[in-house]
Order: sequence, then C-alpha cells, then structure tokens
Amino acid sequence: MHPEALSALGNLLGDRLRSSLETRICYSYDATGNRFLPDAVAFPVDAEEVRQVVLLANRHRFPVVPRGAGSGFSGGSLPVRGGVVLSTERMDRIVAIDPVNLYAVVEPGVVTENLKEAARKAGLFYPPDPASLKFSTIGGNIAECAGGMCAVKYGVTRDYVLGLEAVLGTGETVRTGVTTAKGVVGYDLTRLLVGSEGTLGIVTRATLRLVPLPQAAATLLALFPGNRASVCAVNAIVAARITPSAMELMDRTAIDCVQAAAPVALPEGTGSALLLEVDGTVESVARETDLLEETCRAGGALAVRRASDAPGRDELWKLRRSISPALRRIAPVKLNEDIVVPRSRLADMFEFLAELAERRRVRIVNFGHAGDGNIHVNILISGTDADETRRAEGAVEEVFRRTVEMGGTISGEHGVGISKAPFLEMEVGPLGGISKAPFLEMEVGPLGVSVMKRLKGCFDPNGILNPGKIFLDEAAVRG
Amino acid sequence: MRDPDLKALTGLCAKCGTCRTVCTLYPERKAEIAVARGKVALVDAALSGEDPDAASIQEALTDCLLCGRCERACPNQVLVEEIVMKGRADLAEEIGIPAWKSVLFGKVMASPAATEAARMAAAAAERLLLAKVPTRSGLHYRFPEGIGGGRTVPELPAKGFIRSLRKREAVSGETMLFVGCVFDHVFPRVGRAAYETVKASGKTVAVFRDAACCGLPAMVSGDRRSASACVEENIRRLRAADPGEIVFPCGSCLLMFRRNVFSLIPRANPLYEDAVFVADRSVDYASFILSSGAVDRLPDPPEGERVGEIGYHDPCHLSGTLGKGPQARELLSRAVGDAFGEMAGADRCCGYGGTFNARDYPTSSRIGENKVSAAARGGTKVVSTACSGCILQMRDMAARVDPSVRVVHIAELVQYAFSGEREGARRR
Repeated sequence: MHPEALSALGNLLGDRLRSSLETRICYSYDATGNRFLPDAVAFPVDAEEVRQVVLLANRHRFPVVPRGAGSGFSGGSLPVRGGVVLSTERMDRIVAIDPVNLYAVVEPGVVTENLKEAARKAGLFYPPDPASLKFSTIGGNIAECAGGMCAVKYGVTRDYVLGLEAVLGTGETVRTGVTTAKGVVGYDLTRLLVGSEGTLGIVTRATLRLVPLPQAAATLLALFPGNRASVCAVNAIVAARITPSAMELMDRTAIDCVQAAAPVALPEGTGSALLLEVDGTVESVARETDLLEETCRAGGALAVRRASDAPGRDELWKLRRSISPALRRIAPVKLNEDIVVPRSRLADMFEFLAELAERRRVRIVNFGHAGDGNIHVNILISGTDADETRRAEGAVEEVFRRTVEMGGTISGEHGVGISKAPFLEMEVGPLGGISKAPFLEMEVGPLGVSVMKRLKGCFDPNGILNPGKIFLDEAAVRG
Repeated sequence: MRDPDLKALTGLCAKCGTCRTVCTLYPERKAEIAVARGKVALVDAALSGEDPDAASIQEALTDCLLCGRCERACPNQVLVEEIVMKGRADLAEEIGIPAWKSVLFGKVMASPAATEAARMAAAAAERLLLAKVPTRSGLHYRFPEGIGGGRTVPELPAKGFIRSLRKREAVSGETMLFVGCVFDHVFPRVGRAAYETVKASGKTVAVFRDAACCGLPAMVSGDRRSASACVEENIRRLRAADPGEIVFPCGSCLLMFRRNVFSLIPRANPLYEDAVFVADRSVDYASFILSSGAVDRLPDPPEGERVGEIGYHDPCHLSGTLGKGPQARELLSRAVGDAFGEMAGADRCCGYGGTFNARDYPTSSRIGENKVSAAARGGTKVVSTACSGCILQMRDMAARVDPSVRVVHIAELVQYAFSGEREGARRR
C-alpha cells in the first residue's frame, strides 16, 4: 500500500489503524489455515468510519477485506491481495430487540451466540446456529450465508435477514429490505448481499427476523453400523412426519477424531453416528423423542442416548462441534468442502466417497447436516507430498462433478472464497492467475458467471471490496 | 525464537477461534493479538523466520493472564500456557526481561532473608507515604493515582506468620504446610488459619520454614534461571523433610509443585525423582481438610442463617487447571452450611495474573471490578477463595467498587467454624 494511503487511514482512525507486523500477522489467517498478510488492520467503530475507509480505498486504490471473527472455512476474510483488513469486532452492539414485531437490529460484530442469548432472554429465538456460533459474528454469517445444525427445520442465515445497511464498494451507504414480515418492492438487494462474501458491500447494520422461543428441546445420539444405516434412518424420520431441528451425521473417522475432546462410549461395530434434536412444546418434544428413538432402533441403531437438560445436551453436541478443529490432529492440511445433494441421493454419495477414497488413496472424513443433504467432505493431506496433493485435487474435482450430476450444489454454506485454491497454490505460488471459474461455471454456467461479474461491477466498480474472491481470475486492485 | 519444542506445540492450532469465546483479556482488548490463536500465530511466524520484532512478540506474550481458559476450551488441546511460557522464556534469553523483575526474582524472592527485609522496608514505606483506607477486609493503604494507579494494598504486619511462630511450634511433623510468600508476609492471619485448621486433622504438622518463593512469578516472566533456583532449593529441602503430604493454601504455589516444576526439572535432571516425590504428596488445602479427618471434627453448621451470603471464587490455577473447585465447595458447605451459595461468575478470572497486574493495572482492575461487582449484585457478601493473588486482587477491587464486600481465604472460614466465632467471621 502506498504510504500516503496508510497515512490518510491513520488520520481517519488514529490508533484504531494498526500496521505493525504483529497485528498484521494476527489478521492474516482464518480457519482454513491459509495465511495472507494485510498491509494494515482497521478497527472502525461505526458505519461512518467504514464508509470513510472505503472512500479512501477508492481514492488510493487499495483492497478492503471485511472480517468478522475470522472463523470461516472458505478464506472469505483472507486478504489475498493485501490491503486493509477491516475488522468489525468493535461494532458489536445489539441495537434493539423488538418482541412485538419479532426482529432484532444488530451491528455486524455481534457474536452469534450473544444475539441468540439476548433473544432468548426476551423469550425469542434466532435460529441460525453455525458450528462456530460461540465466536462467529453476525456480519460474517451474513457475508457467507452461514448455515448450521438446525437449518433442516429453520433454514439458514438468509432466511432471517429482513434488511441491511451496507457500505458499497463505491462508498455509498445503501439500506435494503424491510422491518415487516413481508415486502416485495423492487429487486431483493438484501438477498443479493447475503452470501456475497463481502465482495459487494460491507454490512454495517442488520435487521434480523426472530421467532418465538420453543418451550423445550431434546437431543439424541444414535449409533449405527455404517453411513447407509444412518441415512436410511434420516429418511425414515422424514417419512414418519417428524421435522427434527437437527439431523447431523458423523462417520466413524469423525467420531474417532473427537474422542479426546468429547469421549463417547462406542458399541462394537459402530460405523457412524446420528445426532438428532427436536424442539417444540413439552408434550410434542416428549412424543417426538420417543418416536425418534423407536425409528432409530427399528433402523438398526446399536445404541441411543437421550438428553433433555442443557448440560446433557451440551455434552452430546460437543461431539459434533469439536470435529472440525480436531481434524488438525490427523493431518496438517484439510481440503474442506461442503457439498449438498438431494437427500434421496445421500446414501449414493457416501458410497461414492468411500469408493473415491480407496481409488485415489486419500483419507476422507465425512460429517454434516444429513437432514439437508449437506456433507462436509474433508480430504486430509500432509501438504508436503506432491503426488498426494494431486490425488486429493483430482478427488475434489470428482466430488464436485458427481455432486452437480446428482442435482446438488458445490457449497451449501461455506461459500466459494478461495477454499478450493490452497492445494493449487502449493504448485503455482500464491494464487497467481488461478481461475476459479471452472468450478463456479460447473454449477451456474458461463452466463451465470458473467451476470455475477456484471453485478459486481455495479456494486464495486473499482474492485475495492475483497478482491480475489469468488472469481479468482478477476482483474483487481492490489495493495 | 529457538525452542525446538515450540513448533510441535503451535502446529496443532487450527485457528478455529474457540479461544476467543473464553479469553479473559479479549473483551478488554477487542483484538486478535490478545487471544491464544493470535499469540500462537506470532510464535509460529517467529519460528518460521518471518521475523517479527522480538520485543513486540515478547510484549504480546506478556499480555496474557495465563488463566488457562483457552487451553481448557480448545478442541485440539493446544497447550497454550506452555507455548506462552516457553515463548516468554525463549525471548527472555534472547532480549532479557526488565531489570526490576531480574532483581525481584533473582535476588529478593529466592532468598527468605531478602524477602523479609523487603517486607519490612515496604511496611515502613507504606506507613510513611501512603494514605490509609479502612475496608471490611482490614486496613489498607492507597497509592496516589499518579504512581500506583490508585491501587490499595493491605497493611503489612510487623511480623510475618512464620516469624510469629513460637520456638517449639511446628518444627517437624508428618504433614508439611507450605504457606507461600503472601500468606506468610502479607496475610499472616491466613497462614495462621491454615496452620491451626490443618492441625485439627490430628496429625503432627510442620511449617516449611525458610522456604524460597515457589518460583511461579519468575517462571511466568520467562526468568527460568531464577525459577529453577527457587524450585530446586525447595525440592531438595522438601524431599529431605520426607513429609507424608504437603498442604498448599495457595493454588498458584500448588500448581508450581504439581505441574510446572517438570518444565524446569525434566526427566534428565538428577532432581527429577525428588520432584516427583514432592508432586505426588502436594495437595490443596480443601482436599486435605476433607480427606484428613479434620472435616469430621467441624461442628455442624447453622441452618438457614444468611443463606447464600458466602461465595467462592475459583482461582484459575486451582479450579481450572487442577480441577479442585468441587473440593472447595464441599468444604465450604460443611463449614458454613447454608451461608454458602454459588457466586455469580464464580469461574471468571479475577484479572490479577500476578505480573499482569503490575504491568497493566487499569485493565487488570477493570476485569477485577467486573468480577467483584457481579458477585455483589448477586448477593454475595463474603468472597472466599484459595489463592494469594486472587485475594490481593479482590480486596483491592472490593475497596474500589464495594468496600462492604469481604474477601477471605476459605481457611479463615474453617477456622471460624471450628472456634464457633461465626459472627466474628462476618464482623471482621
């Protein structure tokens, strides 16, 4: 970055602009394990400061990369072309909770769990619950359209964003959406911004839909001989006309990974686990819990554990929530994909993944939101063996092709970001001219990509916002 | 940075961010450099030759309370405390530590005679220079804002606990009491309460005289040489005394002898077996009272009297790292009955962090003020605990936010329970 630009930012933000190497290192990573050093880190405290930063970026042509908690799995908040990381962690006020009209107004840096807790205190419920909910921020959830465990019943972040205030790449502030339950005036800019990975605008305030807090909830952990049995149980549960608020599948390797952090007794022959949750009235929860257990046992469950109090439920959930970070104990590099297939094809996909792992000689750990057909496919590699890396790269491509063939999508909740790039990067250097388009085109087609790029141009004509994401081959500014 | 063990330790961090949720310091700093993930990234960068400024890394690693909450929450069991302490030690060798720390750890705390002299000098100085502040916890002195940030310190007694022992008292015994510097020199009443109540077990009790500092302050500051000197001297003498068990009223001293000692005296060290002997026999105060039979001699606590007014603060090292929170609660329930109630935010760090309090008093006191205020709002009138640092901090904080809150060691409450002076416990 040009010293003049840094100096202008310093004048704007004072000590809330940091450019020491130590601070830059601390904002160079996310949960992908990749690292890119920014030139500086900005800690704005309000929307006006965000706007001023973007205006300066247009004047001096440096990238601005918005960042919440840096817990993403697709590299969405990594400053791949340098510039300024704009941390929203100091914009963390819950501005209002409206119990009559059922919405909350929050700043982007609010931690998801804190909003959920504030809503809970008002007898309300903010359902989106990414595995990282204890530290991920609402702004990051919106940028990536985070999903979560209860999406099968309640939907994902997109379904709870009523309206937004966002600073566009031009430095203009736009207000989108409504504070009412309905609204169909013009194009739905809110939906366009949700999941746009910070490439169209920086969210500075969000109006989020809340729903009444369910009276009760219960959690079950059912252990099955294999993935197919688990998937059959999921389908049987749906056929029994129960809608659990979570249906999470973990394969045997995933369960083994977290035994240290969340030990669970495994009957002999355990090949997979299904974590189920139901919520509703006290009566409906009791009835549905019994029915779930019956269904699981009829489907060949080797054991079923139940918990209806908070500590017991937390203990069961810990098993699921610990998986992702625990994979680090097995291999230093994970290619972390989050494909979705129609639920009816889940068993076929698991079979394909097992066959693929054997054929390509790579280790694949699978877990995820079985109720949504969303599988977290993690290919674990050393990162130092070029042949293994090539085999893994080929495996990812095969997974994507099969997913699209099955009528699915290559990313259910992580977004595109740069997540498919790290293994390529090992061979060609830091993202030098790698095109992400083939993967994107595979799903949305060339015209789809072209329309998306044209939209990007409307929102961010100078390519200031989060360059190098989604379309890795776009021409963009460098810091 | 050079420590070869560090790379393996930092390599386990998946940068997931779980540490942000529990970090004591993060809400104050609101910056990644405060949390474990950031510190691990800095150490990693230094190890991989990225060459951040050593003094800046030292600053970042020093900016940590070592409360251990991140380590316990980490899904990958990354040994954050070890990374931070090894990092501090590595950098202390490379660029040194502040001179005042070198003198304090190397000259004063390692020598019982020098510690005593320092206490007497400090006692004289506070009486001459500082303003008096009466609190329910006893007389305190307040530093002027400009010098000590307005902190209050307890009135130092004319005599420490060990010096106050009569000649024939506690020269030998099957149980050894390791009082610790603070309970000897600053709060001798705690030392006395621990001694009297440990004696109630019926065992013969010896007080470990002329002890060197446990070594924790030096170790966490990266001064491994001074820490080793303290630890080795203590281990040699404790081994020679051959006690059945060694009782620690202070959780931080206990952590030093139970766990941290092995980082200074590894398996190859000739003193290793002696260190294992000492570690195996080192117990926390509450566990000893519960298991030794002393608890059975406690009179039945009164029922329904001042329900829930006495709380317990979990010292990070004692409850968190060593897992002794339940024992303290069981002892309190036995000693004070219904008067014990779970305190709001009991397991939150008090913000002392030993040397952290000295380097950043404003932040340390904000954390501590929140802690004491939350307890007081929840109806706790007496905060009890079992760590010398926590008592120093919370008495200071009580003087700032609510002087009616009394901060005591659980041994004092047990002593009152034995003596039947229940009213005295609340009056004093």
